[in-house]
Amino acid sequence: MTTLDIRNLHVSIEDKEILKGVNLTINTNEIHAIMGPNGTGKSTLAAAIMGNPAYEVTEGEIYIDGKDVLEMDVDERARAGLFLAVQYPSEIPGVTNAQFMKAAINSRRAEDDKINVMEFIKKLDEKMAILDMPEAMAERYLNEGFSGGEKKRNEILQLMMIEPTFAILDEIDSGLDIDALKVVSRGVNAMRGDNFGALIITHYQRLLNYITPDYIHIVIDGKVVKSGGPELAHRLEAEGYKGIIEELGLDFEVEE
Amino acid sequence: MTLEQTSLDQQQSLITHSDQLPDFFLTAQAEAAAQWDSLELPIIERMRYKKWPLFTQTITSTRTRQPANPLDDVTLDLLSNDEVAARIIHYGNETYLDYIAQDLTDKGVIIQDLFTALVDHPALVQKYLFSTLAPLEDKINAYHTAYMNGGLFIYIPKNVEIKLPIETVLVQDSRDELAFNKHILIVSEQNSQLTYLERSATVGDHANSATLLTEVVASAGAQVKFVAMDALGESTCAFVRRHGITYDDANIEWAAAAMNQGNTILDTYTELKGQGSASNTNIISIANGKQTQMVNTGLLNVGHHSAANIFQHGVILDQARLSFNGIGQIVKDAKGADAQQESRLMMLSQESRGDTNPILYIDEFEVTAGHAASVGQVDPEQLYYLMSRGLSQTDAEYLLIRGFLGQVIQTIPSMQIRQQMVEMIDNKLQLFHPGNL
Repeated sequence: MTTLDIRNLHVSIEDKEILKGVNLTINTNEIHAIMGPNGTGKSTLAAAIMGNPAYEVTEGEIYIDGKDVLEMDVDERARAGLFLAVQYPSEIPGVTNAQFMKAAINSRRAEDDKINVMEFIKKLDEKMAILDMPEAMAERYLNEGFSGGEKKRNEILQLMMIEPTFAILDEIDSGLDIDALKVVSRGVNAMRGDNFGALIITHYQRLLNYITPDYIHIVIDGKVVKSGGPELAHRLEAEGYKGIIEELGLDFEVEE
Repeated sequence: MTLEQTSLDQQQSLITHSDQLPDFFLTAQAEAAAQWDSLELPIIERMRYKKWPLFTQTITSTRTRQPANPLDDVTLDLLSNDEVAARIIHYGNETYLDYIAQDLTDKGVIIQDLFTALVDHPALVQKYLFSTLAPLEDKINAYHTAYMNGGLFIYIPKNVEIKLPIETVLVQDSRDELAFNKHILIVSEQNSQLTYLERSATVGDHANSATLLTEVVASAGAQVKFVAMDALGESTCAFVRRHGITYDDANIEWAAAAMNQGNTILDTYTELKGQGSASNTNIISIANGKQTQMVNTGLLNVGHHSAANIFQHGVILDQARLSFNGIGQIVKDAKGADAQQESRLMMLSQESRGDTNPILYIDEFEVTAGHAASVGQVDPEQLYYLMSRGLSQTDAEYLLIRGFLGQVIQTIPSMQIRQQMVEMIDNKLQLFHPGNL
């Protein structure tokens, strides 16, 4: 079992404090969901864990099995087992999807143990079939001209190819129609197991109908204000965030 | 590399022919010899190169030994014989016709050493030689004409379509002082089709100059694809000039990988003379070390509805300089002409220099024209995205460079040639030592 441990995390963007002390422990074989209204710091948490240079960690710690994540560069974090799937990935003309994924896989392997072409293609075909992606997408330029849905599928494809220890999915469900949502969920569910943990950030309860989380955490105003099991999502669906805010006596306005 | 064919058909060089050369050529040479030193250098915008050592005057080699196989000491991944229509090699001052498909000869295609062609087909060569590069135009052309020490003549008769490329290899012998003044004349007659694929390389590291001048004549309806992979050595100071002319409905598609290691001016120019004629000039370049590479690309729209397009991407490393000029000119009465250009540079070092200079001269109203130019660095968001998947910064940058240049390479139809272009990029970027790609 591997543990991702986030302790008292404070994060600022351009001197504005967004996260105000987040504590979270995720083990492999667990799926956690983070929910919360807009502008409460959900995506900031994802970006800070991955090491996006635009986000400054001012206080707190992150560890993977005791290794200090905040000391690592972004590529080292990736190789240590972290993966962040985003809503708007960069478009990179001239670099094919397949070329990129092969390089990403090989970056985790020793010099004399690079993935062989046949093995790579077989794995790619298999994962693309799960995600209903046409073969031609492997040879297209990375995210270039992809629709919103294609980009998200492609993020999940990378997830399945790279097989990280921990995946953070940052609002990967937004803008997806129900069929695409099912496909993306199928991909994530296929990853579930003893060597995989996930942190799913979502705005809506809808995604959690397809990927059942073990734990749900509600983030409001830069802090985890409430944690619970899957039933918490159903309560949110019924009451909205207002109920929770009133229950906890928080001073927070939900944007309509 | 190995050649499947061991017996090469060696053709004669300049020296053995000097008493048989036709008068028109000898006269041109004599005039050029008398005048070159007093003529002005061609004006290249944003470029000063008066002090460049471009005029080596030793044009014959004292070496008697040539390697048994002229390509033994050159590392080049050539296409296999079934992928080419013909292969011709010019090594030092000697030309070897390595391979030619039988049906080409039957159709009247000529692929020859230029001096041999001057002797064998004087009238035909005279009709086209110097038609796009006038010997007394400027100092480069005149010096080149006076000190020319090799060349090739490629002639495709009317209506002949050659599907596979004609591959040429130009090897500069720099084991001693020896100028590399080579003249390539390509004539594509009416409605003929040709793909010409040229690779260059340098053997030895004596500091020599090179003037590699190419003329491409695309007669009415002719379709010429010209692909060059320039890879002359670090000690070579080069002026590479490729001038073409298109007659009615003809097309010249230029694709060049400007990967010389030494200081280089690459001047590509096409006159779109005929109506409905077109030319795309696609160039990629990497400048590294301390070299300067000047890529000067011009197109002149003369014919009605002629279409000119420039697409250049380049990468600059170390203390190098790389400049892209894009010069589009539309003359009066060239109604319906179109002149487009895009030049982009990516700088990877604080100490490098780069500039893109789009220039448009338009003397007619009924035309369309456009330009885009940029000089930038690696996009930090793209870099972050690639690294967030585990790629080291070096590997990520390498992939972004390849991708950036790949946008131009992608316009080349042949997969083999695209692959060779990518290999050229890899050769030039060896210092990166990417681990995982």
